[in-house]
Amino acid sequence: MWRTFAYFISLLVFLTCSQIQVQAQDTIPIPLKINIGLEVSGPVTYYTNKNILNAEGYISVDLNEKRSVIFDAGYLNYKYSQYNYSYLNKGSFIRIGMDFNLLKPDKSQGRYWAGIGLSYGISLFNSEVPVFAKLNYWGTTVSSISPKTDWAHFVEVSPGFRAEIFNHLSIGWSASLRMLIHTSTGKDLMPIYFPGFGNGTKRVSAGLNYFIVWNIPYKKIKVILKKEVKEDTEDNGDTNNNGTNNNGTNNTTGTSGNNQQGKVIRQ
Amino acid sequence: MRKHISESHLIIVPVIMLLLISCTPGSCFEETESYVKASFYDNVSKTLHAPDSLTLYGLNNDSMIYNKTTSVQPALIPLNSSTESCTFVININGASDTVEFQYNSFPHLISKECGYTFYHHLDTVLFKNHAIKGIYISNKTITNLNVENIRIFY
Repeated sequence: MWRTFAYFISLLVFLTCSQIQVQAQDTIPIPLKINIGLEVSGPVTYYTNKNILNAEGYISVDLNEKRSVIFDAGYLNYKYSQYNYSYLNKGSFIRIGMDFNLLKPDKSQGRYWAGIGLSYGISLFNSEVPVFAKLNYWGTTVSSISPKTDWAHFVEVSPGFRAEIFNHLSIGWSASLRMLIHTSTGKDLMPIYFPGFGNGTKRVSAGLNYFIVWNIPYKKIKVILKKEVKEDTEDNGDTNNNGTNNNGTNNTTGTSGNNQQGKVIRQ
Repeated sequence: MRKHISESHLIIVPVIMLLLISCTPGSCFEETESYVKASFYDNVSKTLHAPDSLTLYGLNNDSMIYNKTTSVQPALIPLNSSTESCTFVININGASDTVEFQYNSFPHLISKECGYTFYHHLDTVLFKNHAIKGIYISNKTITNLNVENIRIFY
């Protein structure tokens, strides 16, 4: 469990700190934004099913054109009942993590985001089983489990997509895959459903979120576009002295802006 | 840009993912009963040996669990989760005895679909020493898993 947690943190640190050295020529202005998102599927679900109220929102701050830190918080009020038991869970959660935009700056233009989010979440909730019944050879035993406050923590991977459809307003979705690290409930009374995670009876849970996001630009940066340049020929010797390679194609550096597709230049 | 990211992606992709994710079965397919799993052993050879005939029922309970059943191995014995002990009348190959289990019960969630059951922690097993020559407790926690709990030597 702790090994998984340590691995996840290491991955976050690595992805945050890693830098690719490029030789820059052209730049593109990208607005960095503070994004305030509201999850909309929760209220819609509540409109059709009054037993699940999930309210969730986030604030993220762009650190650069690729990365943004995200703080996510939410509230859940969950009621479930079937023929042999009923279950209540009420509580809140927070998630802290980082979003990585996999689109190149000239594609994203500060308006589109297609990438992956990694986050760590902690949930505090109060759960109760008002009644459950068990039928066996000796008859039916009816019992209950008293309200109890517990916590759980988990990690989440969430690929998704967002697009700015109006000025300062984006919509998007993300698929979430969450892995439970630990819950204080103990293994006998795992939470059936808990805030920020979902189905707690399984180690892994999945879900989909839909967001409306208000984007507030706070800074504009100039992002260096990486040039598309063929591999340096002196290292592998597949170019002759007049600047053509073995295939006879031109190998000049400083290609036009149409070919700026993020190839890393080797010096 | 429009070529790569169109608004239709916003709808089509999540719908496909939703279909993939939402295939959650709503039925209970797991074992929901926590039985005492009792294996039968020959008291002389100390080897696994199913009785030729086994009759088992709860004391003060009319319903039979086994009625002259052959080749029972292991016997599945249901405990009463409303009480802290229960007694069974057992007849092995025509010889009768009684077995009393003393235990604590606690709730356990099987799954969302199946709900809750009771697990038990076995404290003591008492018998009259008529048909049964000895009982060995191999696992004190009675669960819905297929794990041997006691060995009955006869």
